[in-house]
Amino acid sequence: MKRVFFCTLLFVLCVSMSSVSSAQDGWGNLTGQIVISGDVPENQPEAVKDNPDKAVCLVDGKVPLDDGVVVNDKNQLRDVYVMMYTGRGADTPDTYHPSYEAQKAVKLTLDNDKCRFVPKASFARPGQTLILKNSDNVGHNCRIATMEHEHNVNIVKNAASEIVLGEESDKIPGEVKCDIHQWMDAIILIRDNPYVSISDKDGKFKIENIPAGDWKFQFWHKKGGYLKTIEVKGYEPDRRGTIEATIKSGETLDLGTLSLPGAALTK
Amino acid sequence: MPRLFYQLIFIGTALLGMAGCERSEPPVFRFNSVEWVKQEKTHLSDDEHFPEAYKTEIGTIMTALFGTPDDPKFPFFLGDDDPAHDIISIENLRMAAGPTRVDKRERASGLYREHCAHCHGITGNGAGDTAASLEPYPRDFRLGKFKFKSTPLRSPPTDHDLTEILVNGIPGSAMPSFRTLPEDQIQSLVEYVKYLTMRGQFERFLLGELAALDGEPLIDLSLVDKPSGEEPSEDDIEEFEDQMYTVIGEGLQERIIARWLRPERKVTKIEAAPPEFDMQHQEHAQFVQQGRELFFAKGNCMQCHGDTGIGDGQLNNFDDWTNDWIKSADVDPGDPASYSDFSAVGALPPRPVKPRNLTRHYYRGGDHPDDLYLRLRNGIEGTPMPASTAMTSDEIWAVVAYVRAMPYLDSKKNGSVKPVNKKQVMR
Repeated sequence: MKRVFFCTLLFVLCVSMSSVSSAQDGWGNLTGQIVISGDVPENQPEAVKDNPDKAVCLVDGKVPLDDGVVVNDKNQLRDVYVMMYTGRGADTPDTYHPSYEAQKAVKLTLDNDKCRFVPKASFARPGQTLILKNSDNVGHNCRIATMEHEHNVNIVKNAASEIVLGEESDKIPGEVKCDIHQWMDAIILIRDNPYVSISDKDGKFKIENIPAGDWKFQFWHKKGGYLKTIEVKGYEPDRRGTIEATIKSGETLDLGTLSLPGAALTK
Repeated sequence: MPRLFYQLIFIGTALLGMAGCERSEPPVFRFNSVEWVKQEKTHLSDDEHFPEAYKTEIGTIMTALFGTPDDPKFPFFLGDDDPAHDIISIENLRMAAGPTRVDKRERASGLYREHCAHCHGITGNGAGDTAASLEPYPRDFRLGKFKFKSTPLRSPPTDHDLTEILVNGIPGSAMPSFRTLPEDQIQSLVEYVKYLTMRGQFERFLLGELAALDGEPLIDLSLVDKPSGEEPSEDDIEEFEDQMYTVIGEGLQERIIARWLRPERKVTKIEAAPPEFDMQHQEHAQFVQQGRELFFAKGNCMQCHGDTGIGDGQLNNFDDWTNDWIKSADVDPGDPASYSDFSAVGALPPRPVKPRNLTRHYYRGGDHPDDLYLRLRNGIEGTPMPASTAMTSDEIWAVVAYVRAMPYLDSKKNGSVKPVNKKQVMR
């Protein structure tokens, strides 16, 4: 009982402290930018074939290319999950920065737009609400299947359905599919540990307010699984694509440019 | 003379006994080779294979925890206090396991082999002797997915759900009714199905882990039991405990067994049907009409079941049991050569999952209105049938009313029929 009381007290203190200023004491950030080295794997056209809804699924009148590997003109890679490793034998913090508490209350939107999930890659916390939106003029279903979660929701044209995620945490991202348009796919990571960043269109990632200390971070991409061949200056990723990094209080650890051989993305 | 006669009988019996032994070598649980090949294709390059020793390691762990088809065990880690005693009793497993027999007191055992194994297989892998000739294929329990249940996706069925399937059978499939079996035998089979399911789920988990471990043992006994005989260091013990925790604690206890405890708490509430649902109600016809509109609009049902409801909307989907392996690289379900590696280890040829023909008044998961309500509310696990999250309970009841009326409506009036199913309409 005493312990519960103490924890609550500690939590209240943290929250009140954070509301005074975005105190960096005890917390640090991790950033970097991921670029593909060598040949970028080519995306094939989506397997729209003669699906009866073809007209709705075209982009500029054409069958779009699969969005498995998305890079900008500098070959900087989108949709890489950079995440604190929570797998086998991992050390993880007991408490998270209070700023992440608000994240859970945000409703996350997953849209269906021209028979494509937007965003392609997302991160949700257990218990969070997902708005499954359909901007298309055809019906979709949204099948979420991760290690720990499964939903299959009917989403009517030009409408939205809401679901509340269960309490379990995944270790790696799982799949989102539509059975009616089978080429559609997205990825979602659902877990409580909030130290996750998905690289943006310029390959940039940033994990904020990590407790100071030594933690393992993992690099994961749908087409490459654990990115064990990613090159990170000063680190040697192991076979699960993880590095151990030291986060210092009040500082941002910049990993600089991380280069990933294109050959890693062939799954 | 009599003496020789007895000796002959003795020798003859002994020989017969031996021959008998040879013939009836106790059956074993079959290794999940399809999952093995799938993991190889996922993690290794074309000509690489996992060492056969991995199979032995998995086999050893599986037998230690779950026993054999003749001598089932269950991992009650907390002894008599283990909460899993609420869902599995060893007495019931023994009644279902082993060879089929009746003892002197007329107590039957070996029920699974008597009633189930020829279709579902000794292992519960859905690959019994008859499997290949059945449509649909018998269920493979090892994925832990069940279609007809009162709980949402990823929540195991209740004992009551499984009992209903055993008692009623599954209309439109080869699954018969076991209504004539006494209650205690049904319960023993229900528990045996759960046992085979958890066993299969754990084996799949081990196979997944093994691949990710890249050749390191799952549980390295040599850490604590050193060949040199020296005492293990504290680091060794810690590493060993860590491995045990990951494999047994997390993998089996938390991820599998704990979920099977008290599935009743997850049961979906069935809201009462509005008065118009009653066929005698003066507004019942309008209610059916409302259901029809929902079928085409908010329900989105016609997308798979077709405009006429004969099930001709979506014909090229596969269920999860098939998708589980045909999603591997380079597998084309239409080209047997592309999946010959899987066929070689027993995978049955993939067949598309058919949306139900709703103009026939049989329903696989039961024809009580509550059954249909649950199919719509929760979707059907392992299939493309989604949950109707956006519909109110009254709307779901309206669709149920329409679906129940469909066999008696002129389906051709509802819209066009694709040629593929014309025969069905002209029945």
